[in-house]
Amino acid sequence: MKRSGLLLCICISLVVFVTGCWNRRELNELAIAVGMGIDKSGDQYEITVQVVEPSEVAGKKGGTSSPVTLFQAKGPSILEALREITTISPRIIYLAHLRVLVLGESLARAGMADALDFMSREPEARNDFFIVVAKEAKASDTLKILTNLEKVPSVRLFSTLETSEQQWAPTTTVKLDELISVLVSEGKHPVLTGLVPLGDLAIGETRKNTETVKSPAELQYTGLAVFRKDKLIGWLSNEEGKAYNYVTNQIKGTVGYVSCPDGGSISLKVIRSKTKVKGSVNDEQPQIEIEVRAEANVGEVQCHLDLTKNETITKVEKWANEKLENLIEMTVSRVQQDYKVDIFGFGEVIHRSNPKAWKKLKDHWDQTFVNIPVHVKVNSKIRTLGKVSNSFLEQLKE
Amino acid sequence: MTKNNEKVIMLGKIKISSRQFSILIAIYMIGSAILNIPAMLQIVAKQDTWISTIVALVVGLCVLPLYIYLGNRFAHANFTWYIEKLLGKWLGKIVALLFLVTFPAIVAILTLRNIGDFMTTQILEDTPIQAILIIILSVVIMGARLGLEPLARAAELFFPFIMVLLIVFIVLAFPHINFNNVQPVLENGLKPVLKASLIFIAYPFLEPIILSMLFPSVQHTEKNGKALFTGVLIGGFIMVVITILTILVLGTQTVSFAYPSYALAKLIRLGDFLVRIEIIMAVIWFITIFVRLALLFYISIVGIAQVLNLKDYRSLTFPIALLLVPLSLLAFPNAAYFQEFTPIWTIHALVMGFIFPLLLWLIDILKGGGKKTP
Repeated sequence: MKRSGLLLCICISLVVFVTGCWNRRELNELAIAVGMGIDKSGDQYEITVQVVEPSEVAGKKGGTSSPVTLFQAKGPSILEALREITTISPRIIYLAHLRVLVLGESLARAGMADALDFMSREPEARNDFFIVVAKEAKASDTLKILTNLEKVPSVRLFSTLETSEQQWAPTTTVKLDELISVLVSEGKHPVLTGLVPLGDLAIGETRKNTETVKSPAELQYTGLAVFRKDKLIGWLSNEEGKAYNYVTNQIKGTVGYVSCPDGGSISLKVIRSKTKVKGSVNDEQPQIEIEVRAEANVGEVQCHLDLTKNETITKVEKWANEKLENLIEMTVSRVQQDYKVDIFGFGEVIHRSNPKAWKKLKDHWDQTFVNIPVHVKVNSKIRTLGKVSNSFLEQLKE
Repeated sequence: MTKNNEKVIMLGKIKISSRQFSILIAIYMIGSAILNIPAMLQIVAKQDTWISTIVALVVGLCVLPLYIYLGNRFAHANFTWYIEKLLGKWLGKIVALLFLVTFPAIVAILTLRNIGDFMTTQILEDTPIQAILIIILSVVIMGARLGLEPLARAAELFFPFIMVLLIVFIVLAFPHINFNNVQPVLENGLKPVLKASLIFIAYPFLEPIILSMLFPSVQHTEKNGKALFTGVLIGGFIMVVITILTILVLGTQTVSFAYPSYALAKLIRLGDFLVRIEIIMAVIWFITIFVRLALLFYISIVGIAQVLNLKDYRSLTFPIALLLVPLSLLAFPNAAYFQEFTPIWTIHALVMGFIFPLLLWLIDILKGGGKKTP
């Protein structure tokens, strides 16, 4: 009896003292970071952290202050700058809910690898945020703009990139682990999507930006940043970005148009696309074959074609093939000539198909890449015509 | 409790079923290896790790007949008695003690440190490692004091949960698989592949020798061999699948992850509602590591008690547990040392888990023990 009484006492006192609060992080002690920007100024890192203002985001009541707060600090390393933020912020920055990481163009040009180590090492940081480059801008500028539709700008940036990758395809979503594995790969160089702040940035920082119908300042994704290892060396246009996504088999859905011979054009909605890249080495000369299989629906017709005939469809398919082949070939040769870096991962393809030859090739792969012949073959199939078969334009004009 | 103390509690008195024995072994094989093995192998064999794992599983199963043979010999009394019979009383005692201290006890120390390291790197960064070690060890002490039967029953209860969570884990990781990650095959030749498989064989496929000491505690002695085989096969197969999955999903880049299987768990998502569930996956690790640790601890102290002719092994639980905490902290100073330690451990495990039982077997044969008479 005495024994069980003692045990009970011990248990009760344990309940009070051992409640698992050792490392507790209460929600109201955390500054939940949703966006982070890294710029370089001199040899110091300039960190911008976009933190959610919980009272503004929660529930339906729209408050009067901004839904997010921005903290900035400088330091010789990312971690140091992040900790320095505690001198401004009452709460510690919590990185587990990060949505976007924006790298300033100047940092990207100087080399981004050093900045990425922290993100991969920090146990709190996850792997589910997107990494983008602020095109001709500082990362901090892009995080200052308030947005509508999504109250939290970083969440909006995340969803925008996700949607545009799925529907339009000139952009590409890159997560940290993908970026790092490309960085360390010998046969591939990374690309990241560009982010441009447009319009009146001074208004963009205030709530006025979300009060008008047309926001004075907006953020837009455009183009792909081409890297040589971890240094930004140039940009690809939206069309080239699309070609890049075709080559790397990342097309989930996009739209392309083909011009008709007698003026006008047909737009095709690509619903599925699959790309196979094959590499071979003959007499130490590597070769790449790209085979794209795309399925598309007719989305818009602005020219005179009799779509009820199978023959016409075959013709349109042929035009689409030629156009896409052309686009891919032009993009590949532009990258080969202007940037001289293998962003398509052809080196990895050769590595996989012929590891022995790759051993000889890998040391001077970028020089080899410039001259390798790339054959593109596109095989597109048109499936449906949409709600109508022949366009009403057919009857209108006649 | 008081009445139990009067009885001589030795391995032979306690009985678990062969099914429970298999489950204990399967969980034992997964525990702690699931955290370390993927990273340890991928550093060496890169994209060919999957070949190494399969080689290791096959070799690991091939070694089992040796353990089963020895286990069946232990089954007549116990491990210490058997060694004393083979090597003479005093030499036998010394060898048995040395083996117990340098193999099961050290594996226990390393396992304890592994779980502590995992918690302090991935989950509770600022918590002192001692706090974690002591809490885990206190459960282990409780388990060991209660004895093998409750432990086996607990393992039996945990097993369905472990399997369900593992299957969920594997199925949800499937969509992320990229077969390009395992190409090109055999780029650097066979040597690194064999090296990696040697690491995997040493840890944990050479450890069932420890488990074969449990043979006297299993009900149907004649089924023990089969039970051991099934357990190692299930545990080993899960390890192979998880390791291959980490390469297929994360690629050879996983080398830079300290805990690839946890990194893999972080990727898992089902739509937008089932996300960030890695901690549930970590719970499997905890359960498996608890069972592994409890078994190692139990076997070590029971063995030591037998060598010292103690009436009850329970008096040893607290003193030895007290030793385990500082020893596991002393085992290696930092995470980098653990990686350099791998080849040394491989050799140690080969000596303890293969050469030692082989010698026992040879002596046994020479002494005419081949005939199945006790």
